[in-house]
Amino acid sequence: MSYGKRDEDADGAIVRVDRTAVFQEARLFNSSPVSPRKCRILLTKIALLLFTGEKFPTNEATTLFFGISKLFQNKDASLRQMVYLVIKELANTAEDVIMVTSSIMKDCQVGSDIVYRANAIRALCRIIDATTIPAIERIIKTAIVDKVPSVCSAALVSSYHLLPVSRDIVRRWQNEVQEAASGSKSSGFSLGFGGSHSQSIPNTSYNTQYHAIGLLYQMRSHDRMALVKMVQQYSAAGVVKSPAAIMLLVRLAAKLATDDPGLRKPMVQLLDGWLRHKSELVNFEAAKAICDLPDVTDGEATQTIHSLQLFLVSPRPVTKFAAIRILHNFATFKPDLVRACNPDIESLVTNTNRSIGTFAISTLLKTCNESSVDRLMKQITTFMSEISDDFKVTIVEAIRTLAIKFPSKHASIFTFLSQTLREDGGFDFKKAVVESMFDLIKFVPESKEDALAHLAEFIEDCEFTKLAVRILHLLGMEGPKTKTPTKYIRYIYNRVVLENAIVRAAAVTALGKFGLSKDEEVRSSIKVLLTRCLDDVDDEVRDRAAMNLRLMAEDDDTASKFIRNDSMFSLPVLEHQLVMYVTAEGRDTFASPFDLSKIPVVTREQADADERTRKLTSATPTLKAPSMPKTTAQGAAEAAASTAAAAQKYAAELQKIPELSSYGGVLKSSPVVELTESETEYVVKAIKHIFKEHIVLQFDINNTLPDTVLTDVSILSTPVDANDPDEAAPLEEDFLIPVSQLKTNEPGTVYVAFKNTSGSSYPACTFSNILKFTSKEVDPSTGEPEETGYDDEYQVEDLDLGGSDFVVPAFAGSWEGVWESSAGGEEAAETLSLTGSKSIADAVTQLTNVFQLQPLDGSDVALSASTHTLKLYGKSINGGKVAVQVRMAFSAKAGVTIQIRARSEEDGMATAVISSVTG
Amino acid sequence: MAGLFKRLYDWLLRMFWQTELDITMIGLQNAGKTSLLRVLAGGEFTIDTIPTVGFNMKKVQQGHVTLKCWDLGGQPRFRPMWERYCKGVNAIVFIVDSADQAALPVAREELHLLLEKPSLDGIPLLVLGNKSDLSHHLSVDQLIEVLDLKSVSKREVSCYGISAKEETNLDAVLNWLISRSAR
Ligand SMILES: Nc1nc2c(ncn2[C@@H]2O[C@H](COP(=O)(O)OP(=O)(O)OP(=O)(O)O)[C@@H](O)[C@H]2O)c(=O)[nH]1
Ligand SMILES: [Mg+2]
Repeated sequence: MSYGKRDEDADGAIVRVDRTAVFQEARLFNSSPVSPRKCRILLTKIALLLFTGEKFPTNEATTLFFGISKLFQNKDASLRQMVYLVIKELANTAEDVIMVTSSIMKDCQVGSDIVYRANAIRALCRIIDATTIPAIERIIKTAIVDKVPSVCSAALVSSYHLLPVSRDIVRRWQNEVQEAASGSKSSGFSLGFGGSHSQSIPNTSYNTQYHAIGLLYQMRSHDRMALVKMVQQYSAAGVVKSPAAIMLLVRLAAKLATDDPGLRKPMVQLLDGWLRHKSELVNFEAAKAICDLPDVTDGEATQTIHSLQLFLVSPRPVTKFAAIRILHNFATFKPDLVRACNPDIESLVTNTNRSIGTFAISTLLKTCNESSVDRLMKQITTFMSEISDDFKVTIVEAIRTLAIKFPSKHASIFTFLSQTLREDGGFDFKKAVVESMFDLIKFVPESKEDALAHLAEFIEDCEFTKLAVRILHLLGMEGPKTKTPTKYIRYIYNRVVLENAIVRAAAVTALGKFGLSKDEEVRSSIKVLLTRCLDDVDDEVRDRAAMNLRLMAEDDDTASKFIRNDSMFSLPVLEHQLVMYVTAEGRDTFASPFDLSKIPVVTREQADADERTRKLTSATPTLKAPSMPKTTAQGAAEAAASTAAAAQKYAAELQKIPELSSYGGVLKSSPVVELTESETEYVVKAIKHIFKEHIVLQFDINNTLPDTVLTDVSILSTPVDANDPDEAAPLEEDFLIPVSQLKTNEPGTVYVAFKNTSGSSYPACTFSNILKFTSKEVDPSTGEPEETGYDDEYQVEDLDLGGSDFVVPAFAGSWEGVWESSAGGEEAAETLSLTGSKSIADAVTQLTNVFQLQPLDGSDVALSASTHTLKLYGKSINGGKVAVQVRMAFSAKAGVTIQIRARSEEDGMATAVISSVTG
Repeated sequence: MAGLFKRLYDWLLRMFWQTELDITMIGLQNAGKTSLLRVLAGGEFTIDTIPTVGFNMKKVQQGHVTLKCWDLGGQPRFRPMWERYCKGVNAIVFIVDSADQAALPVAREELHLLLEKPSLDGIPLLVLGNKSDLSHHLSVDQLIEVLDLKSVSKREVSCYGISAKEETNLDAVLNWLISRSAR
């Protein structure tokens, strides 16, 4: 080997490989006698092309494939290996690849010391089809238990690929695979081409175990009990030596813990044990698994955080990086736990590896409290210029949530953002900064003027059309409300003069919004400016200008309705419905146009409230670990739909009931209340619909008894005054709509309607509910119910109606403002202790749910474990403001003690709202 | 010493006289192609062979001639691929089971279909009626009749009766094949 490697590299010939030329050269394969060396070089070129993404068209691939198959007889072992490498790749594109089966099978059965045997096995599974698998069954089975690790691995990996092709046959190889999984062969991959010097390199990677465990999992993936057994069997000490194989077990254990609550405890115990395994690979996988468990508890995670903390001071940068990255993610929903590591994380901020530094600082941002914001911000500023755009985005995102969390820090956050905006950076980075400013403007009113001014300046020289358009839109929305609208008009009009058509059109629309101003001077200057735009070269710009001018000329409120656009479609619902419509299977879906009227309309206020909640709960500190149902697209859309949207959804259903037509529109629909355990014979859920003078209870009933039909199903629902049971009930039953028949697992709905006779708009009462029906058995042979049945009753849980059923969450920029302004109305207070809450965080979630009001000022995130103030806001169904303040204190002895103060514009509302907690 | 000379001689022979012939063996499934090739290459005859999936290649060394024999699967799914493996070879060997009369019409059809391909013009054809050890096998003349070999034109055609099992008449087969190298 004296002709050094360097010469070959320097030559660079390999880089100039060209597909057509290679294809021409392929005649070489047909020459005789074959020159192994030349063929190997040619094969290498083909491999290079294939591996670098070049694709041979089918006819060329087929020709090559058959040319290469002529080399099967050659005695040169390295040539044979090369042949297999290329055959494997060509097998996907070439036709009739099945032709080489017999030849490859022969190579799979040669002695284990032949170096290309493993290659042959791997190629075999690529060319085989389902009908020929039985013919190779014996070959693969023997290879799986072969003593040579490379052969064994090849067979296992091949089986893995064959499993989807022929599940039944491959599953018959379980015993062999199990043998391989517990075998202690260490894998010495002999990569030495030529194979003549076959002293195997001792190696302790035990790779076959990894492959075997992976395959076993796939074989048993439909059988949970078998999987459980598998984890238990292979997690025993010393059984599995390969860290990669254990990593698979970690994932499997985590999956089992997630899928089956009953298995959670033992699996978490296993995961905990793996945190102390001697391989870091296993440690990190276990840590990640625990942190990703849905609704992970503090107890489950403490040990993990501790282990990760130890890794933070490891001398190896990769270890540090892996640890801080997991902590960074985890800090998103468990900042309190991660805070324990802060001293160690602080020391990483200045790490010379900027990736580690960035994760450290954004972790600190997530866990910090108000007092340390300024210091952190200063630290970040020092190294913003040293990191890549991706990391800059990470940091800006963290700051952005900080802004929502600590509104009082808006000044320093704003300074940081405006500095950052001036730095060089790509679109994603600038977008992140601009969006953070948008959030400030929307949710932190104090910073509005500064931020608007800054953004207005930014578009003066912004190279990104998309951002310019969004900023112009915002200036249009917010500018008219500021003290000096004319300032913004100048900025906007500059764009009309200097920019491309898209930006110009956006600028014209923004100008139009100023046209609604009360100020005559502003109006007339807008008129002048828009008139100038009528001469624009772009028709869209001209159209918009013309339309805005026309709207300004109207003297009724058409213009303000149209331009201000205060109510909008509930976007998550709209998106969901559109996706459903577009992806519908049946052709007939498209027969009728998309029905926009089914999409709930929400006010901008509600939409903002929703958005804020979403922003705080998705990318930012929340108290909830990601629960599973939320991950589905449907779930996400549903969850995001606001209360108003839910009401609108039911409204469509309720409209179909003629008896309800006189009630008017639904003002509010409650969340679903379960009145039975979910595993009982009859599952009953209730929804309360509030109308102006009526309450309608919707009972969704599911009969889960097999071979039974319920007929004449109704609910006897009796309202009892919540405060004084002896008083006459505040509600009177108006009518009941029963269900005539309920078959097994075909849910039906009973409606019971009441008229409010109490004199108060917000009656409080408790309904006791009895399910009444006639039960008939179904003859299994005919499927018909029997003639006669027996009448039966079934008591389900009571349903409360209280103040919170009459309010909807609403958003306001500042809670203090709302609180002060509602000082004149009713005020009520109450002190009590929440026995059901284990922590402040827990209590915050519970109370937010019970009150059904919007938490403001970031008060849905408790920063201290001992005291907290929750600030809630909403409106009653009649539009009156309701503000609630809950001070809470936690002590290990007494649990959570709360003091509630509620203020409402309308009389009785404050008391009613409080009673939904006390009652 | 003599051994050394012998080896040297062999080597020289191979250097200067060595010729390689490409031979393709086709025929319906179960005709005995794989069995025949194994026996020609000096292997043992076995009763329980497995059907060939695709093709199978063996070299048969005969003096200074190397026969590279491509034994193709005879099942219907592989028949369309025969042509590809027959292109440019020195001879096509078509094997039939001379004791399986029911299969012969299909064999005739497949053979003539293949010979029609322009790409195979002029390639010599050897038809072998295998399994002559079985009692009710057809004679060579009967085969020529049934397979309609007289109508084959523009190429050299021969037909022998053989038995791979009893190794009957295999010399004739080898001689016929080797003589292809003389042209
Ligand atoms: N009696 C007898 N049996 C034979 C002879 N030659 C082959 N056989 C048997 O015929 C059967 C089929 O033989 P194969 O060589 O596998 O046939 P093939 O033509 O390769 O079949 P495919 O690969 O499917 O195309 C086997 O059971 C052989 O033992 C022969 O000369 N005499
Ligand atoms: Mg065969």
